[in-house]
Amino acid sequence: MSAGFELILALAGFAAVAALPTIIIPLIIAPKRPSPVKMAPFECGQVPAGEGRVHFMMQYYAYLLMFVVFDVIAMFLYAWGVSSIGVGMPATLIIIAFMAIMFVPMGYALHLAARRDIW
Amino acid sequence: MPIENFEDFIKRVLEIVFWVLVFSPLVIFPLIFIVLPSMMGLIGIMIPGPIGVNDILAALADPLKSIPIMTEFMKTDFFKIAVFPGFTWAALIATGAILIERKLLAKMQLRVGPLYAGKFEGVLQPIADLLKLIAKEIIIPRRADKLAFWCIPFAAMAVGGALLAIVPVSKQWVVTNLDVGLVVAFAIMSFFPIIALVAGWASNSKYPFLGGLRALHQMVSYEIPLLLSALGVAVLAGSLNLVKIVETQSSIPFLLVQPLGAIVFFIALMAELERIPFDLPEAEPELVAGWMTEMSGMLFGVTQLAVYVKFYALAGLFTTLYLGGWYGPQILPPEMAEANAVIWFTVKTLAVMVLMMVPRGTMTRIRIDLMLKAGWGRLLFLAFVNIFIAIVVVQLGIVPR
Repeated sequence: MSAGFELILALAGFAAVAALPTIIIPLIIAPKRPSPVKMAPFECGQVPAGEGRVHFMMQYYAYLLMFVVFDVIAMFLYAWGVSSIGVGMPATLIIIAFMAIMFVPMGYALHLAARRDIW
Repeated sequence: MPIENFEDFIKRVLEIVFWVLVFSPLVIFPLIFIVLPSMMGLIGIMIPGPIGVNDILAALADPLKSIPIMTEFMKTDFFKIAVFPGFTWAALIATGAILIERKLLAKMQLRVGPLYAGKFEGVLQPIADLLKLIAKEIIIPRRADKLAFWCIPFAAMAVGGALLAIVPVSKQWVVTNLDVGLVVAFAIMSFFPIIALVAGWASNSKYPFLGGLRALHQMVSYEIPLLLSALGVAVLAGSLNLVKIVETQSSIPFLLVQPLGAIVFFIALMAELERIPFDLPEAEPELVAGWMTEMSGMLFGVTQLAVYVKFYALAGLFTTLYLGGWYGPQILPPEMAEANAVIWFTVKTLAVMVLMMVPRGTMTRIRIDLMLKAGWGRLLFLAFVNIFIAIVVVQLGIVPR
């Protein structure tokens, strides 16, 4: 079977190009009356204050860190999942052991991530 | 000419149409006499098989002769990409989904417009929406990152479209039949948070920025349960090829074998699609419209259409993985098996979409820390339990492979 990945790119490109006229038509027919107030960032009617990209506490940063680890593990499990019949029961047992080992640090990481006072 | 009222707007539109009509012969005649003959060779390449250039020229004179050309054209990749399982079909379903959702919500919450606009059941409401969006000025915020801001609707459309390519509508009607289709689906899905984050960052405004960061947290957290609950299906089918996964379900849909995985997958899909109760990235009372706050006019319209195309594609993915895809009782004559398959896929996908719309009218929004805890602490473990169920089912040999 040929790869066929290029068709995904083709459909993505077609969708993007198909969206182009819908943006161009308003540029032609819609009124253009820019004003400083209109171009200001939207803050519910108040005068925008300070920077748009504000600094604030990433209270839930721990979940992002966990994602980096567990996304890789999930894809690793896929490699096993598809071939689970071919490689037989021993491999399945090893994977179950692997998951059992994984649960302990995962529980600890979840416990730490839920403690918002340390982040 | 400034546009002050609706009359001016109509005048402006008619004026543009007039000038287009005046100058169109200058474009069309060279096209017919110079470009078209050279294009014929190109069309001949695009449509392989017995159809030649002369057949196309004959079809221009006699419409009846165009039927074999159309049937040949329907076999090409271009038709699949542009029309049927691809973009146009999905955009139509997305528009229909917007109408259905508005009507459903209007019925639930007694809103007037979507119920009565147009003579019959508010069918004119999407057209009114489209006209309104097209007539609106496109405003780019002053301190925005202009290039990134302009790119977001197209990027959103591209990602939604890419997802369409791998969802099989029937055995024949799939744009690309990949051996690793399920993994490709998740690979494309991992672009969603990037687009939301870039949209928030490029707007350089507080609400979109907060919305983008929330979208990042939410989509990232629910991607793991999504991946792991779909792993159960991969274990049962022994394949990542979406067409093969559907063919494994010819006797029994995986919803009955893997109810837990289906529930986890469904909830995680709702979170990936930012639908209520997981619409934290665009929570209206807190963040106006989340990462789409600064988008105006058709920029917003295209992004919203992309969201609904994504909605259709992911509902189609749920149908493919758990509801047995295109399989269903034969309701049409036996020679129309393909049409039957397409109808069943569409009906199932629309049912899934309606099921995802109902919470929007009935549920409240979940708090962000509870959402993250539910995703990591509950759904993730349920997904692991589901994998063990799948292993047991495979070892007992319940599902035929």
